[in-house]
Amino acid sequence: MDFDLGAQAATLRTRLRELIAAHIAEDYLGAFTNDPADLDVAQRFCKTLADEGLLTLAWPTEYGGGGGSVWDQTVVREEMWAHHEPRGAQYMGLNWVGPAIMAFGTDAQKRQHLSAIASGDVIWCQGFSEPDAGSDLANLSTKATPDGDGWRLSGQKIWTSYAGMAQWCVLAARVGSGARHEGITMFLVPMETPGITVRPIRSMLGPHHLNEVFFEDVWAGPDAVLGGTGEGWAVIRTALAHERVGIARYARCERLLSALGRELAPVWDRLPPALHSQWARALVQVRVARLLAYRTVRAQEVGDTPDVMASAARIAVTQCDQQVAEVLFQALDDASVEAGVTAPLHGAVEDHWRYAQAATVASGTIEVQRMIVSKALLGSASGGRS
Amino acid sequence: MNPVLPEEAVEFGTAARTAFGHLGGVDAARGAEESPSLRSTKVADALRALGVEDLDPRADADTLAAAAALCEAAGRVALPYPIPAALLRSTDGLPFAVVPDARRRVDHGDLFPQWRVATLDGRCATASSTDHRLATRLGPFVSDLIATDADHDCDPATSDVDLHLTLTAWQILGTADRAVELAVEHVSDRIQFGKPLSAFQAVQFQLADAAVAVAGLRELALFTIWRLSTLPVAPRADALALRVHALDVARAVLRTAQQLHGASGVCDEYDISVLTRHVQPALRLPASAERTAHELALAIQRDGFDGLFPHGVLPHGQPA
Repeated sequence: MDFDLGAQAATLRTRLRELIAAHIAEDYLGAFTNDPADLDVAQRFCKTLADEGLLTLAWPTEYGGGGGSVWDQTVVREEMWAHHEPRGAQYMGLNWVGPAIMAFGTDAQKRQHLSAIASGDVIWCQGFSEPDAGSDLANLSTKATPDGDGWRLSGQKIWTSYAGMAQWCVLAARVGSGARHEGITMFLVPMETPGITVRPIRSMLGPHHLNEVFFEDVWAGPDAVLGGTGEGWAVIRTALAHERVGIARYARCERLLSALGRELAPVWDRLPPALHSQWARALVQVRVARLLAYRTVRAQEVGDTPDVMASAARIAVTQCDQQVAEVLFQALDDASVEAGVTAPLHGAVEDHWRYAQAATVASGTIEVQRMIVSKALLGSASGGRS
Repeated sequence: MNPVLPEEAVEFGTAARTAFGHLGGVDAARGAEESPSLRSTKVADALRALGVEDLDPRADADTLAAAAALCEAAGRVALPYPIPAALLRSTDGLPFAVVPDARRRVDHGDLFPQWRVATLDGRCATASSTDHRLATRLGPFVSDLIATDADHDCDPATSDVDLHLTLTAWQILGTADRAVELAVEHVSDRIQFGKPLSAFQAVQFQLADAAVAVAGLRELALFTIWRLSTLPVAPRADALALRVHALDVARAVLRTAQQLHGASGVCDEYDISVLTRHVQPALRLPASAERTAHELALAIQRDGFDGLFPHGVLPHGQPA
């Protein structure tokens, strides 16, 4: 039995923290704030990571990546999220768009897109959810109609992160009139194509996180299809597989809980004892969430299908995110609603609380995760009373 | 990174479950309430046959893992025996338990004439037992020991307090894990409104939350015995964190499991009722969740808490 991630992971963690300390300000709250300069910071940091060979650490060496282990990838996820994801929107291209193109793309698609993603030059958005296809993604109705040797795309996407800044979209649309998975096809579409309209959705998360995207007779050439006509569900499954482990939310939780002590040091002893206990329990929740996430990573490492364990981990991690947000707010009391650099922890707690509210919805609701876990449990039921 | 129990420990746990099954499973707990002597006869004999007397969890990582697996197996049936205390006996054969500050109250205190005891704040003593047991529904085998010497500081080089807290948490893990299984079985069998209770999503979601809670507790329990067996002196916070989490999880999971059993959940004919009653001493001794969480907060501020970021101390006892 061994819970040590190993010397290689420890070295990588140190290197990432040194890079972050050198290039990212202590009060940086991510790329998606009201200050456009924060976006530039993220773009520059991606270049730095690319120069250091760290941006595509997880990619296979044959595609110019670092061939990093699942534990290397875990360390990257943890350190990036703990420090407010200084890769900005790039993580989507790195985490699954690139790997999906490796798995399903034509040689031309690989040539066109992989090096651009690897160099940190391009931002992708994911056109999956629709007004009537959220958790039930297979219910999507965006149409792809043959037109000459290409396609016309019509429909509406929603909750699309980074659509307003993305250069490319991976779009799920339906060819023909089939139901459920039938006909679903993935398209790689430049966001500058005529007929695409992005409408930002105002939300507590801040700018760029949520958008509606409208497609009105958008032209896509024959080379825009990723993975073959009607084969889109396989691509989506690949995308979702990369999201199995999910964001390392526990890492930021732990960093903030650690920082809270320093922030409140002058008055720490005067806090109600119940708050000390909540702080301690939150640290335990963070440890548990991290260990459950590691269990999923371990399953991936040894080639197991980690679906149920991944859902269990997501339930624990997302709930932990919200519980920690609340403990931090309880501790900060009336100062918790302050924002910006003059707020406690330069607004990091306020930012975390707002973002945590969507944790149990984003990338698959907690209800869907519970359905997966309970289905596995009830499939194994037998017996009765003694 | 290989976060699994060693194969030998898993096999030992399986053997223990088989042996406890031969004792009647939860029926052994029911029987001991009627005939307390059963603990020192049939149960003690079964433990001897398993080789528990040769198991010292302080010896090495593998033996601690085997001890943990044994405690989990015992918790699954509310085995009427103080396994963590017996495993931590001294060279002269005295069992060891962590006791409340106010009195030397232990589970199954009457089974051994002499005990070594310690409080969470590190005061050690020896104590002798009487034949008196509380004999209540929630503490059928709880008894109060009588001090036989003055308190003194425990030897800081020994980790018996941490090990007792940790092995007791493994016992609680076994109870919680079994409670989820019993709930799953019940809602699958029980038909209401023309379909199994398990067909209702409200029921499914409660089960999912309970199962996730137990899965998380299991990871923490594994991590804690790894820490205890690899660090020269593990911080007290590790064992306290496991205990707090075990108590929080058990409280929620047992409540869910009882609720999903309906009225059967409070009937001793059903295992869930007996498990819920018999685990109470483990949940309340030496301290319940809130008092333990208070101790944990103090320990983290004093000793730190291992993680991705430091949670150490500043000179004036304020967290860093």
